[in-house]
Amino acid sequence: MARAKKKAGDINSSSMADIAFLLLIFFLVTTTMDVDTGMKRTLPPWIDPTEQQNDVDVNERNVLKVNVSKSGMIMVGTDEYTSADLRRTGEHSRLSRETYMFLAMPDRSNKKATEINGMNYDVSEGLVSLMADAETKYKVYLQVQDELTHAFNLYRDDISVQVYGKKYDELDEIQSQAIRKAVPMSISEAEPNDQTKK
Amino acid sequence: MAKKGKREVPAMSTSSLPDIVFMLLFFFMAATTMREVDPLVTVQMPEAHEITELDKKNLVNIWMGKPLNAAAGEDALKIQLNDQTRDVEDIREFISATTVTKGVGPRDIVVNLRVDQGATVGKLTAVKQELRKADAISIAYAAKATNN
Repeated sequence: MARAKKKAGDINSSSMADIAFLLLIFFLVTTTMDVDTGMKRTLPPWIDPTEQQNDVDVNERNVLKVNVSKSGMIMVGTDEYTSADLRRTGEHSRLSRETYMFLAMPDRSNKKATEINGMNYDVSEGLVSLMADAETKYKVYLQVQDELTHAFNLYRDDISVQVYGKKYDELDEIQSQAIRKAVPMSISEAEPNDQTKK
Repeated sequence: MAKKGKREVPAMSTSSLPDIVFMLLFFFMAATTMREVDPLVTVQMPEAHEITELDKKNLVNIWMGKPLNAAAGEDALKIQLNDQTRDVEDIREFISATTVTKGVGPRDIVVNLRVDQGATVGKLTAVKQELRKADAISIAYAAKATNN
């Protein structure tokens, strides 16, 4: 009968904290917390150069030509911009204001009635053609891209307020998709002109 | 006097310590993600305002920057795919291998271009042309938020 009294002893759990600490430190070291952020773009699909190309006719009026030289000088249409024109003062930099005006002003680019949410709204057909020299620094190139994106985002806000009465980032997924479709991020990234080959 | 000597502060109970640590552990497990590959090139990310958070799902990284073991004065940029430094020509093969392992089409993956801010547009274009050939046309220019 003495046998019945023999209970299995409790497992000593004082080392549990140490084990948990070890696991914790392991996870702290091997994992990262940072989220990936970036500027999304869609490249044009590859066209075989040997195939016959049917170039899309784009009205000259609807194209804003942005050209970045290797020294960081920027030509917008026929105007010269410097790196100072990429810096924002208030809501806009000079480049983003110019791009925004190009999209939003009725006399700058053609507007086309586009159906959004069952109604027709006038949306700009404007597109930005971005050219950069092969020697241009990526930092400058991305700054230019940033300002152009800013202009497009503001224009999307305008259309969004017209259609849904609120800004683009406050829309739900279906609504923002409709706006994205109506106002595409029309930034054409042409291949850089290689001066050395000419 | 004997009584006074006996009055001691009782030891703090540490029995809840494992619970606290486990709670911390679970928090970190949920809030962080595994570091998949070690960078072999140094990339100084450019700064931008108009950036969005990129969904980790279907995100593929391509690094372009100076190799970590570069000799002084040498400033040729290298491309890193997964955990190897490779050439531009290897991108197509890399994309097709990635689509197989992820089980999605090339247009469903988002290629995150982590390019050093000192790189040239010419190099970037070479990468973009290869991506177009691989039909991986959805890309993102990795950038961090700017303070001004």
